[in-house]
Amino acid sequence: MNWKNMAAIMAAIYGIMAMLPFFLGKTNFVMHILIMCLIWAVVASCWDLIMGFAGIFSFGQVAFFVIGAYASAIVSNTYHVSPAGAILLAGGFTAAVGILVGLPCLRLKGAYVALVTFAVHMTLEPLLKGDFGRAIGTGGSRGIMAIAPLKLFGVTFSSADPVPFFYLTLIFFIICTLIILFVIKSYWGTAFVALKDSENLAASLGISAFKYKLTVFALTSFITGLAGGFYCHYVGMLSHRLLGVDLFVTLMVMLAIGGIGHYPGAIIGAFITVTLNELLAPLGTYRPLIIGILIILLVLLFPDGIIGLVQKVFTSKADKATKPVY
Amino acid sequence: MYLELIDVLISGLTNGSVYALMAAGLTLVYGVSKAFNFAYGSFFSLGGYIAWMLMAVFGTAKGYFFVFILSVPLLLLIGYGVERIIVSPLRKRQDWEVKVMMVTLGLALLLDNSFQVVFGARMKSLPPIMEGALTINDVIVSYQDMAIFILSIASILCFRWMLNNTRLGMAARAVAQNPAGAQIVGIPQNIIFASTFAVSTAMVGVGGILLSQKYFISPADGWDILVKAWVITAFGGMGSIRGSLYAAFILGMLEACVGWLFGMSWILVANFAVLVTTLAIRPQGLFGKWG
Repeated sequence: MNWKNMAAIMAAIYGIMAMLPFFLGKTNFVMHILIMCLIWAVVASCWDLIMGFAGIFSFGQVAFFVIGAYASAIVSNTYHVSPAGAILLAGGFTAAVGILVGLPCLRLKGAYVALVTFAVHMTLEPLLKGDFGRAIGTGGSRGIMAIAPLKLFGVTFSSADPVPFFYLTLIFFIICTLIILFVIKSYWGTAFVALKDSENLAASLGISAFKYKLTVFALTSFITGLAGGFYCHYVGMLSHRLLGVDLFVTLMVMLAIGGIGHYPGAIIGAFITVTLNELLAPLGTYRPLIIGILIILLVLLFPDGIIGLVQKVFTSKADKATKPVY
Repeated sequence: MYLELIDVLISGLTNGSVYALMAAGLTLVYGVSKAFNFAYGSFFSLGGYIAWMLMAVFGTAKGYFFVFILSVPLLLLIGYGVERIIVSPLRKRQDWEVKVMMVTLGLALLLDNSFQVVFGARMKSLPPIMEGALTINDVIVSYQDMAIFILSIASILCFRWMLNNTRLGMAARAVAQNPAGAQIVGIPQNIIFASTFAVSTAMVGVGGILLSQKYFISPADGWDILVKAWVITAFGGMGSIRGSLYAAFILGMLEACVGWLFGMSWILVANFAVLVTTLAIRPQGLFGKWG
């Protein structure tokens, strides 16, 4: 897909999103869902960038999100940094962690990367719950109960009044997703795809796998960390429950619906999944069960997601028209 | 102090032997088909729950004999079916590795939550396989630990014999070494993939039956097991049964010692440290042959 189509799809999605508060702005619950849509869209886009385009099986995106959230909460609670600064610091910290995790992954291939990054995810929970976590201020298994709301230019953005917060999130995350779009369509993105398809050939053409893979780790974890910081100041509380398999798989469903490596798909997938999750909430314990079945069926029946499906419909028509007749 | 240390060693040995069994299953399936199975841990819980159900139906009096006779074929069948239905259709795609990860992740979520719905969130316990204990001076070794140790080592040896001496085992090794070559000489790849998946499911399921008597069965137990089995496989070397044996005992001991000295919450951290150190210094693992 060329970047014009991608930008057009994104403009359409975010344009509709920007209009929605005019109709739904009165119900706080709906606004909450919309804000969560925006936040998860960014996290899913980052995951798509690193897994779909750079071909690195990173399963630590949720861990980076949680690290960003905790870092921002701890910095603003314990060291009394203003939330906006705390979010930036958290992004920087998460990027540093991302580079640390990325370094051993550069020597590894395929499933080993998935293993190391997933192990980061699994290790984070006991660390946050245990004595070490309590010492740095994670609140142990209880979590952090009160986090200061975001304050910018003297205006307080809190979850009590979601419409201004919604627009702030929208602007912020449009910037994030645009950065991802530019990365995908720039020289970088081409280098990623070249590395994914054939690392040896790419290296022979002078593309440094080390440099590009490390940058993509740093960039995606930076943005994911920012999203985590944003999330914690919006929700106002944090617990290690974010690290449950539930959220991890929900993000996976976003990618499955949108299609891995079909970029704006992840954003559409995030919007559909968050809404679906809320709609399925009354089903209680059956909800994750249904999501599990859903992910299996989606991957088996529509492996390229919504974007892939749409592309298929269009290209098959074009193919029929241009196919030579023997 | 001295007696506690002995206890820690025994616990490390018993757990290590079961871990070896599970890691061998994982190394088999990854070595042959390169599929990363996220549902591996859920099959561990599945084994425990199947044993629990059989116990509930047949009563505990008949003991574990019936459980093993019935659950192993059942697990083999489940594994074979899972591979044929949800993994093999993805194989022809170029990006099948990610897709297999996603689909097995979905399966793991489905299985875990089915356990929760069917059996409830309360932990289930299995009766010990043998009662009583052997006492030598002050050292007490329970027959249960000994039985677990012997059964898992016997299973590994049986598995190794199968891999080295049967036609199926030789075909599996051929596919692992060179898939294209194996296909040229007429080895049906799809059947080998499905069979290795089935065998690995049975191995982790038996591991689940063995370990569930010492601990408990609960719906979300499998994730720890998945990471542990992977760490052992990576540490021991992919594709090497001997490597995973040594690695499992080393990690079982490490786990028992770390749990005893620092507390249970540090076990995963210690595993992770071992993993990263191994991959940084010797990425092919202790005895790695391929990959």
